[in-house]
Amino acid sequence: MNVSVQQRVLKVISEVIDRKENEIHPDVDIRNDLQLDSLQQMTLFIALEDEFQRSIPTEEAAGLVTVKDIIDFIDRKLQETTSV
Amino acid sequence: MSRRVVVTGAGAVSPIGIGVDEFWRQCLQGKSSVALIPTYWQLYAEPYSRIWSPLPEIDPESMGVARTERLQLDPVTVLALGAAREAIKHAGFTLVPVKEHTHAFRLTEADSARSGVYIGTGLGGAITFLQNHTYHLLKKPREALASYAQKHGSSGNPVMLESILGLMTHGLRFNPFEVSMVMPNAPAAALGIKYTLTGPNVTHCVACASGTVAIGNAYRAVREGRVDVAVSGGCEYFGDEHGHIFRSFDVSGTLVRDCVNPDTANRPFDTRRSGFLFSQGGAAVLVLEELEHAKRRGAVVIAEVIGFSETFDAHSIMSLAPGGEQIERMIRETLTDAGLSPNDVDYINAHGTGTRNNDEIETAVIERVFGQSVRVNSTKSLLGHTIGASGAFEALVTALSLRDGTTHICKNLETPLRDLNFVRRVEHCDLRVGLSQSFAFGGHNAAVIMSRFS
Repeated sequence: MNVSVQQRVLKVISEVIDRKENEIHPDVDIRNDLQLDSLQQMTLFIALEDEFQRSIPTEEAAGLVTVKDIIDFIDRKLQETTSV
Repeated sequence: MSRRVVVTGAGAVSPIGIGVDEFWRQCLQGKSSVALIPTYWQLYAEPYSRIWSPLPEIDPESMGVARTERLQLDPVTVLALGAAREAIKHAGFTLVPVKEHTHAFRLTEADSARSGVYIGTGLGGAITFLQNHTYHLLKKPREALASYAQKHGSSGNPVMLESILGLMTHGLRFNPFEVSMVMPNAPAAALGIKYTLTGPNVTHCVACASGTVAIGNAYRAVREGRVDVAVSGGCEYFGDEHGHIFRSFDVSGTLVRDCVNPDTANRPFDTRRSGFLFSQGGAAVLVLEELEHAKRRGAVVIAEVIGFSETFDAHSIMSLAPGGEQIERMIRETLTDAGLSPNDVDYINAHGTGTRNNDEIETAVIERVFGQSVRVNSTKSLLGHTIGASGAFEALVTALSLRDGTTHICKNLETPLRDLNFVRRVEHCDLRVGLSQSFAFGGHNAAVIMSRFS
């Protein structure tokens, strides 16, 4: 897991749910454990797009369950050559 | 007896400066913001006008707008929140977080249920609509064309394909918050949410008169006892990526045509005027407050609002009625509302767009009602036309002029079209009463009258 990406993802999540970054474990489920409602999930994914300047299509976001899933997904996106 | 209504706070995000102190300092120095339009816009159209009045760089976080808020708000709402934050703090209210780690606040010394929001805007979140529409329209065709170019470009004209792809730009996403970003009531709603103001929350959408109508209705709400505090003003943002909104005004023939010398092209009330200077936008917010309420908490009063009226031309969706009869009626009703006669007015902050029609009709009405001695200026000679925010900026200038006993020049005025007392230099003058008026596409006319506070 890319540590830099992990730190930035945790920072974005902490902005959305107003929780400290060190309180968010990578293995937690963003819906069941962090209890992000649908509006918060939309906010999270557009904030991640803003942070990493990569598009996260809704259908792909729906398959991301844990914080670690998001970190790995972003990591893969960053390795792609184009940003849009 | 009517309750007295005073201005106790002000905020501004303008093309010539962010913050009221900077805004006013630049006004008195006759500063304007004029630049050539982005070259990129001219890849899509060949406009008649070539200049605009851009905003300085905006940092939403410095205006109290966090990233997770900004991403759900059109820029017009961010500007309104920035101006409102300054106005509320300037009025002396302390902002207390609603709960830990939140972006929402409540105001100390104000009953939220007796605090209302009255905000004007012309087009609301138009930029978000354009951004999402561009994405909606171009995402798939662009992908298809890029795929075609990759497979067959070398056998065709790769340079042309790249050029076309370069024009088909769009954002990262179709923003899922579009509806709540585009709706014209978003600025007022966001402001009410941000500062927990649970009284009336009203949006006034009357084009170029929006700011004036919003402040006027806020004044009435305080005067008539519906609220004690009213956060009121106007906002607009027209900086879309492809210059679409600029083109809309340009093709309608309203924008300044003679752009040979950009610095002097914007010249309201001059015989050589050729249209108005398109502005990227801005926001101005005033806190209106019932006088005794303001006194109890020791607020500093900037000026007093003493009259308001609005009329409608019922003539044309885009042109002022030639005789200006409804403008004159509006002015006379505003004077009656304030209990004044024309001779009591020392200063008029005119609509003063710089279009042939407006300036001709407006000056004729001013001369008919007030004669030739009243001081007249046009804040649009400095800012350009900020549409839904313009009336709020002009009310702000009127309040500051009364407070300080001076006002800004009517910039670039060399040969006045009528023999009125246009402000030609900044000097101390005995300003007791000022009137700020706005006219709008559709046919809306509105004015507020303010007096020096004593």
